Amino acid sequence: MTNTDGNQSLKILALIKFVPDPNQLKVSSNGRPDLGAAPFRISTFDENAIEAGLQLCSAHGGGVYGVSVVHGKAPPRDVLLRAMAMGLEKLYLVVDQDHVLNEPYRLAAALASASRFICSEEKISKWDLLICGEASADQYNAQVGPRLATALDIPVIAYATRIEIRDSTIVADRALEDRSETLQASLPCVVTVGMEINQARIPTVLQVMGAGRKPIREVLLADLPGLDVESFNEGPSLSTLDVLAPVRARKNIIVEGNDIAAKAAELLAKLGADGEVKF
Amino acid sequence: MDATGILIFSEDQDLVLELLTVALSLRGDANDPIFVAAIGEAPQAMAETSLAHGADEILVVKTAAEIESDAGQMAAILHEVVEKVRPATILVGATRLGADTVARLAQKLKAPCASDCMTLKRIADGEIEITRRVYGGRFVALQVLEGSPRIASIPPNRFAKANPVQAPKASIKEVPITSSPPRVRILGAAQRVRSAVDVTKAEVIVAAGRGVKKREDLALLNGLADTLGGVLAGSRPLTGDVDWLPVDSRIGLSGQTVKPNLYVACGISGQIEHIVGMKDSRTVVAINSDAKAPIHAEADYSVVGDLYEFVPAFMEACARARQS
Repeated sequence: MTNTDGNQSLKILALIKFVPDPNQLKVSSNGRPDLGAAPFRISTFDENAIEAGLQLCSAHGGGVYGVSVVHGKAPPRDVLLRAMAMGLEKLYLVVDQDHVLNEPYRLAAALASASRFICSEEKISKWDLLICGEASADQYNAQVGPRLATALDIPVIAYATRIEIRDSTIVADRALEDRSETLQASLPCVVTVGMEINQARIPTVLQVMGAGRKPIREVLLADLPGLDVESFNEGPSLSTLDVLAPVRARKNIIVEGNDIAAKAAELLAKLGADGEVKF
Repeated sequence: MDATGILIFSEDQDLVLELLTVALSLRGDANDPIFVAAIGEAPQAMAETSLAHGADEILVVKTAAEIESDAGQMAAILHEVVEKVRPATILVGATRLGADTVARLAQKLKAPCASDCMTLKRIADGEIEITRRVYGGRFVALQVLEGSPRIASIPPNRFAKANPVQAPKASIKEVPITSSPPRVRILGAAQRVRSAVDVTKAEVIVAAGRGVKKREDLALLNGLADTLGGVLAGSRPLTGDVDWLPVDSRIGLSGQTVKPNLYVACGISGQIEHIVGMKDSRTVVAINSDAKAPIHAEADYSVVGDLYEFVPAFMEACARARQS
């Protein structure tokens, strides 16, 4: 097959977000998330995005490059290496020291510019696909994929559950609430994926160690062509005043009993006492 | 001139009425006009209904049927409508298509967008305070949308539908749109199986997770749901690509938010994305063989054991209780 480059191989850019693991995030005594203490991870669906890119490249040849915006402090090296070890050719980190890119409009504008920057650095004429998770595990805005496509003026297929490259186009199934659809779009195209598309590979310890030799490159906002950070101060804004854990209280009673039948009777008695079951 | 007015868009008729409720509360005494964009193959029905429920102006755009699947085209059309009415606030229904459409529209408008808002409140002229879930739903963010256009998306079933008005005063206007060629072609579509009952209205929910090994095994949990007078729902792994259960019975961040009286989680590990959909349940039972599964922390009653052994035993206990 021939892609937009006229070459025999695919060039794919995976948009990766490193997030504090929501499942391990603790609530501080003031009710706010203890972000400093939570271990970082690759945002769940972004793992599926990387995997989807790698599978296409193993079928058609080519490589998956990664790009991630890092707000403030960089994620720990082992988390970066884990992404590399999945099989990325190279990882670009866009360093957002002052948290300027704190909402999806700005993020998409920066990623659009970064995607062009990486093309010129890697001497790639055009990306075939830009892949990301349908939403990030921390903010869950579900905006960056479609926004990036708009910023680059290319099509997007969101919520893809299966993708293939056919005659220099992408053919994808995607799931909506009431129906599934098979869509076709020209390349380059943005694709967003969820957990349904694949089971992301888990790199071995050796692969993670070996990934230390692969290149990780930091890019400053000032290096990104055409990105007008000043313009972000004009126009409408979305600012966060507070982030709090909702208060909830569960009984947390473990149902005990000598055997299964006793446990079953015990649960039924408790639910009966609460008025939740009536016979 | 400063922008005024609230523009509503969703491809889903019910959701338009829910958005109308939000728009009516946001405009308060200011009496900003409420616009509804009715876009599609047969926009007239949506226009009539919106008119009967308190909208001030309906902008009707007639398009080819397949355009409804193309969020790119939808966003372009909506952008033209926005240029015409110049609303200060834009509210879009957060279905998957709606989320895709609003993100593209917002990027064209160089504007932020608050996704999946749980509450929206006008706090001053030109400012809306919203709350939304973050970090997998474990936390709630309080945010402010300022300046115009202010854009927010709102999930289905979050707000009540607007009441019909006595004397509708809206006008319906057809908007001609410059058509652009589609970027995405639809090769095929298939209806997804829908639930016979609406899980968001169920008083008792039995929810199945990855602990269920085979599709046939769902019969066991269906039996439990029948015993308890409830319905069967599922976590994302069972309602995703495998489609063991209808996608509209998915509980969690990417599915339904429910608050039944009784929620019985069977073989569900309790990833935070699931918890967010069920944490407002009155009583939660967790059945999971892994004592360390996070679902136990979210439960009133935890059964650490194999659901394949426990569920039949529990149903037997229920049968005995019924006889006595």
